[in-house]
Amino acid sequence: MKITPGGVVAAEWTKFSSLRSTWITTGVSAFLLIAFGMIASASFSGPGMSAVDLALSGSTLAALAVGVLGVLLAAGEYTTGMIRATFAAVPRRLPVLWSKSLVAGAAAVVVMTAGAFAAFAGGAAVLNDGVSGVGLGDGGVLRALLGAGLYLGLVAVLGVALGMLVRSSAGAIAILAGGLLIVPGLAGLLPRSIADAITPYLPSNAGSAVMTLTPGEHMLAPWTGLAVFAGYVAITLAAAAYRLKRSDA
Amino acid sequence: MIEVREVTKRYGDKTVVDRLSFTARPGQVTGFLGPNGAGKSTTMRMIVGLDAPTSGDVLVNGKVYATSTAPLQELGVLLEAKAVHPGRSAVAHLLAMARTHGIPRSRVDEVLHLAGLEQVAHKRVGAFSLGMGQRLGIAAALLGDPAVVMLDEPVNGLDPEGVLWVRNLLAGLAAEGRTVLLSSHLMSEVSLIADHLVIVGRGRLLADTTVADLVTAEGVRVVTAAPDDLRALIGGAGVTVTSTGALAGEELFVTGLSAREIGLAAATRGIPLFELTPQNASLEEAFMDLTRDAVEYEAAR
Repeated sequence: MKITPGGVVAAEWTKFSSLRSTWITTGVSAFLLIAFGMIASASFSGPGMSAVDLALSGSTLAALAVGVLGVLLAAGEYTTGMIRATFAAVPRRLPVLWSKSLVAGAAAVVVMTAGAFAAFAGGAAVLNDGVSGVGLGDGGVLRALLGAGLYLGLVAVLGVALGMLVRSSAGAIAILAGGLLIVPGLAGLLPRSIADAITPYLPSNAGSAVMTLTPGEHMLAPWTGLAVFAGYVAITLAAAAYRLKRSDA
Repeated sequence: MIEVREVTKRYGDKTVVDRLSFTARPGQVTGFLGPNGAGKSTTMRMIVGLDAPTSGDVLVNGKVYATSTAPLQELGVLLEAKAVHPGRSAVAHLLAMARTHGIPRSRVDEVLHLAGLEQVAHKRVGAFSLGMGQRLGIAAALLGDPAVVMLDEPVNGLDPEGVLWVRNLLAGLAAEGRTVLLSSHLMSEVSLIADHLVIVGRGRLLADTTVADLVTAEGVRVVTAAPDDLRALIGGAGVTVTSTGALAGEELFVTGLSAREIGLAAATRGIPLFELTPQNASLEEAFMDLTRDAVEYEAAR
């Protein structure tokens, strides 16, 4: 009988799967991704719009939901007091952060990748006449769908890191929503030359690059974008780990 | 064994624990007593590694708790504040803790049985009464079959049957050779089960003693017209008669005899008694005397 990394992961999975809110939030994330993808596929058409981009147009809202999933898994322990039991069992603390990230990230990747493919299939079925259909074998389609799953998995990890860092569900959700939704909007208010330089590197824009079939001119290359987003996640995780080690629980 | 050595904890400029030292030994129930705000919970949080001491160190079974490879086997803890997610069932909560250490499912069922929670094992903890929550906390503390059991105010919210259960459980754990540390602000509760008492006030150690030593000698106050005659009459082996010097030497304090025995003896010789009062200085009073100056939040009188 002793602490093992696998044991801590199993424990975090048990915590994750034994809460009703987990299933609700996961379900809502997948629903948003698929429903918005199908609605957009049926409704919108225009120059530069591809069937894949339309099918994945629910990803912004899905990202918010899946980020909340990560936040609840982490900050929920502080708001309920569960963290005391958790750290009494694992007093080194850091394995808890890594295991939570792994569990939330892996669950989100699996569910959201499936969701992305479902949105693509559903979108293709209701696609309006103004947009030409594409197949899975066409250039970049698989990359965009798999990338969507990876991006949303990383957003879940970001949620865990923010939750552990600020220790409050409301605070972490506010930062998450601000970072993913509001900051890109604010960047638009900057002078054109500065905005063009910064915008591609903002978290949600960088992450979206991997799911875009036809990148705009002010956008990073697909995998570069995902790597930049992973960098944001890594920095937040490092900050959470630092606080976890240094301050009282 | 728990060793607290010269531990100080400050939050900002408020010193909550002030150079506190004590040892809780195996095979004993150690009562950790003090008024509210004395630093008991903070000390317990430092023992389990949730808070880091500002200075000094805390050892559990000879090492810092966080360095243990199987912490739940070293120390089982119930902290005062609830430490469980209300949306989870009791069995899921225990299972999550057990899995960190590879503790088998059968042990989870065992502690649920021990705590009398089998009927509600699959209910959401949020619907639990205070007493059921305490039982779950105690079940969690026992999960790893720990050498040290530390409980912060365990009888809070328990019904009389539950209080008795905790009392017997802790006595049993100590009899098995485990270290038991039990905090309370109620002397009456602790004195029934503790052998060793650690009393704190405002973060400082006030007394490190035993229940027997803390109790002031019981005796009988006697006021008589003939103190010397009475002294000669009842004096003997196992009986002490002291003059308190009050009431012109007419007041005596007698130990080793009951008020009834003294009264009957005096009657046989016709010695007049004016007062005959058993004096039972209770543990509670001894505790109050000790902590009077250290009470953080005193009620207006």
